[in-house]
Amino acid sequence: MDGTVSGPVKLKLENVGKRFDVAGVAQTVAVQDFTLDVVQGEFLVIVGPSGCGKTTVLNLLAGLELPTSGTVSLNGSRIVGPGPERGVMFQDYALFPWHTVRGNVEFGLRHGPAGQGLDAAAREERVRSTIELVGLTGAERKYPHQLSGGMRQRVALARLIANEPDVLLMDEPLAALDAQTRIILQEELLRIWGQDRPAAQRRTVVFITHAIDEAVFLADRVAVMTTNPGRLKAIIDVPLPRPRDDATRAQSEFQALNQHIWSLIRDEAYRATVT
Amino acid sequence: MESVRNARFGTAVAYVRTMAVFIAFWWAVSVWTSNPALLPSPLAVIEAFVDLVRDLELFMHAGISLGRMLLSLALASLLAVPLGLVMGLSRTFDEVVDPVVELLRPISGIAWIPLALFIFGIGNALPVFIMTYAAFFPIVLGTVAGVRGVDRGLINAARTMGVPRRTIVTRVVLPAALPSLLVAVRLGVASSWTAVVAAELIGAPSGLGYAVEWYRELLMTPQVMSFIAMIGVLGYLSDTALRALAQRFTPWAVDALSAQ
Amino acid sequence: MSAWSGRLSRNLMLPFALIVIWQAWGMTTGSPRTPVPTHVVTAALQLVASGDLLAAIAQSLGRVFAGFAIAAAIAIPLGLAMGSSRGVERNVDPLVESFRPIAAIAILPLAILWLGTGTPAAVLIVAYAAFFPMVINTVAGAKRVNPTLLRAAATMGLSRFKVIRTVVVPAALPSIGVGLRISMGVAWTAIVAAELAVGAKAGGGGSGGIGQMMFVFYAYSIELNRIVVCMIAVGIVALVLDRLLRAGLRFSMPWTAR
Repeated sequence: MDGTVSGPVKLKLENVGKRFDVAGVAQTVAVQDFTLDVVQGEFLVIVGPSGCGKTTVLNLLAGLELPTSGTVSLNGSRIVGPGPERGVMFQDYALFPWHTVRGNVEFGLRHGPAGQGLDAAAREERVRSTIELVGLTGAERKYPHQLSGGMRQRVALARLIANEPDVLLMDEPLAALDAQTRIILQEELLRIWGQDRPAAQRRTVVFITHAIDEAVFLADRVAVMTTNPGRLKAIIDVPLPRPRDDATRAQSEFQALNQHIWSLIRDEAYRATVT
Repeated sequence: MESVRNARFGTAVAYVRTMAVFIAFWWAVSVWTSNPALLPSPLAVIEAFVDLVRDLELFMHAGISLGRMLLSLALASLLAVPLGLVMGLSRTFDEVVDPVVELLRPISGIAWIPLALFIFGIGNALPVFIMTYAAFFPIVLGTVAGVRGVDRGLINAARTMGVPRRTIVTRVVLPAALPSLLVAVRLGVASSWTAVVAAELIGAPSGLGYAVEWYRELLMTPQVMSFIAMIGVLGYLSDTALRALAQRFTPWAVDALSAQ
Repeated sequence: MSAWSGRLSRNLMLPFALIVIWQAWGMTTGSPRTPVPTHVVTAALQLVASGDLLAAIAQSLGRVFAGFAIAAAIAIPLGLAMGSSRGVERNVDPLVESFRPIAAIAILPLAILWLGTGTPAAVLIVAYAAFFPMVINTVAGAKRVNPTLLRAAATMGLSRFKVIRTVVVPAALPSIGVGLRISMGVAWTAIVAAELAVGAKAGGGGSGGIGQMMFVFYAYSIELNRIVVCMIAVGIVALVLDRLLRAGLRFSMPWTAR
């Protein structure tokens, strides 16, 4: 399967702007004139220098923030707030420390709308199979503080997937991990996402990262943002074949894409270190 | 900073509003019970307060209590700070002294009152003794914690620069521990101010605690409430004063007690 | 092994030395009334055997638990509400902060005026004293909840109230626990003070409890050794209460990594 992306539009950002005001006085323009279509089943990665508004875009998609101009919609209808159909994975995992692995994974089903209509047995089964999917069978009774960073990330992912969301929104989920664990989890992420399934059966993913090589490795398309204000600079197709693995990183096309995207960001990244 | 000013104004408005509601409620209940000895109206209390201010009685007792507190604080700090410093710096010393501290600490200053009454009798010495004792423990424990809590990295950085041990203590440990020390003193003040009321209620011929009890026996409740309010106001002011002092001398410190 | 025993001997040497000095001083310079370790021990045995000490402690403890429970029932829900809603906090906080500097014992004369010199006044004092550390720490705990946790729950579609119930409460539990521990210490001190003061004012009668017992030993029977026994008992009960509470809290929060 190649990475060309086509199909129905899942998420739509149209001329979206987000301005943060403090006490009625206009302060920061985080995002401006942002227009982007996210296609069903695609893995879209957003990269950009620090402070370019990537997280704001994600928060808008999640419904944790509302746009000050433009529209954000899912399947054609406007997004007005957060919900389990747009599951979010946070950079610091946001695992509930007082719940075990099972308690965390079960949380959304137990207390949220995603679990409605599921009796206890069905819920049990979904929790079990999700934990198995992320590779944590056997660790159900452990508490987050007993888990390594990689394990915690798997739990966060499991908690998200258990709610069977339409869209997965991920805010630099691998940033807190060491480089080696990161590589492993990138591959695991693609496996769990189902990279060898046809696009119609995959979940849509919007993923944010600083690391360009991570973006190229994971993405079907990479959206490059600039900073101050946050704007969409370019959208790069990543036609690397799936399934992707270590060999993919060695390919010359991988390197070329890396270089190309870096060249788009480099100047701004430099400026961020001196201002 | 306009936004900060707006926020402060909003808080002030809410403060006034809440207190107004409270006083109105109090007034209504006092009218309903109509027993001035049991629950005087807010006006009666304010009248009593003004009278006490006018004939200086309020200030006299307040001054006496405050004076005792300052003396106790000085005594307690003189004992507790050096002790805490050495305990924090020397493991051996700590192992010897800490058991005594930990054995005495659960016995509150107030539990000492009967014995102290026997030793000192009713007078000035009793409240000062109790208050010094009460302030001692928070200060010594806070000093130890402050010394122990000094970022190891700072000490190591000084060592790698070849700084001798004694200088490290005076130039690194002490300044680094100062914020915690000041917090400890604040706790000591709170502790001794609480003890002052109990000590004066039982064992002193003057002071705010004594005055509260005196007027209670006369069933003059507005005066009782006036003195109680004064106790609260002075407690609040001394804490604020110390906080300002801490801010002046250790501006880099985050206010660790703002939630306490 | 020798390092451990070295430490133990250092731990014990000062208390031991002080007790010896105390005994020697009492036996040589003091009057027959002077409290002395050996007499204190005898007095302790007498008081325990007669059941008086334990009865007094039980009475004081009963008042402490009652006041503590009342305070918790009000302070914890209030603290959670204040910590979760800026509006609630703004309206309630002025009252809390105005009364906080007024120590419980200062309210005692008022409590006696309203409720007499018996148990109700004592319980009121304890409840008042225990209230403030509880509410303040609960508010701090509710405010300190990692906002990402709240966001995570929101993205799973939970309503605001559900978020408070399933996320804020458990996240604030460690802080609430700290508040409870501080309150317990404050409550115990308050009851001793209240009983002492009432005992002093009511002429040695009426209130009961260990505080009053101490005063009687001072004012009436002038038994200093017994006073010392009571003081030690006050200390021991304070320690035991704290240890028990700590253990209970640790048990109810199995996820805390200590």
